[in-house]
Amino acid sequence: MTSDQVLIKLSSSVLSLDEATQFTTLPECGAVSVFIGITRDNCNGKTVLHLEYEAYEAMAVKEIQKICDHMLKTWDVRRIAVFHRLGYVPITEASVVIAVSSPHRKASLEAVEYCIDTLKATVPIWKKELYKEGDWIWKTNKECSWSKDAAS
Amino acid sequence: MQRQSLVEVRVLYFAKSRDLAGTAEEIIKVPDRVTSQLLLEIITDRHIELKTIQQNLILAVNQDYISEESGEIQLSTGDEIAVIPPLSGG
Repeated sequence: MTSDQVLIKLSSSVLSLDEATQFTTLPECGAVSVFIGITRDNCNGKTVLHLEYEAYEAMAVKEIQKICDHMLKTWDVRRIAVFHRLGYVPITEASVVIAVSSPHRKASLEAVEYCIDTLKATVPIWKKELYKEGDWIWKTNKECSWSKDAAS
Repeated sequence: MQRQSLVEVRVLYFAKSRDLAGTAEEIIKVPDRVTSQLLLEIITDRHIELKTIQQNLILAVNQDYISEESGEIQLSTGDEIAVIPPLSGG
């Protein structure tokens, strides 16, 4: 999904940081702030082999768009790219890439933090973590308001 | 009092809810006016395994979250309902 100011992608291939920064870079912007979420090789002492992501894609795009609309209203940010990986993701690859441009750095730094925090709380995407021991679990974000479980 | 009629809606199950329900989607008949609580009750009655995580499920109707605060919701045939377990994107 794309508009003049926002580029949203859910993709089962490797996410391109270059594409995110190229989309957001503008002559009038002195800052592009970037967050990259990486698949980590451990969780609570267990060895993680890889992750598998799935999304309710149509709704996920709409929820990401809502986050971007809020960012554009709240901060002086000019362009936003939000990419999320789906399917199999090996260790060390990016599961999420967010880039935000602004004339001055404070706005995009704050906005990028808001973006990842809110994405974890509201965007219908799920992650299965598969371990070396052969077991796996569906993870839960601590940011998710309707989870009654202790954060995993 | 208005009479309730039944409508056919498509229910989508994701992640852990799909594993427990044993299906990714199905068409079911539900009353055309429901609260989120009643709708979730109807769905978990169909798949008893979902009762184990019912407290951790919310629903979306036509790609918008609903909650108890949404009050009574008007449903139409063809509406898309999603069963949403705790999120773990990012």
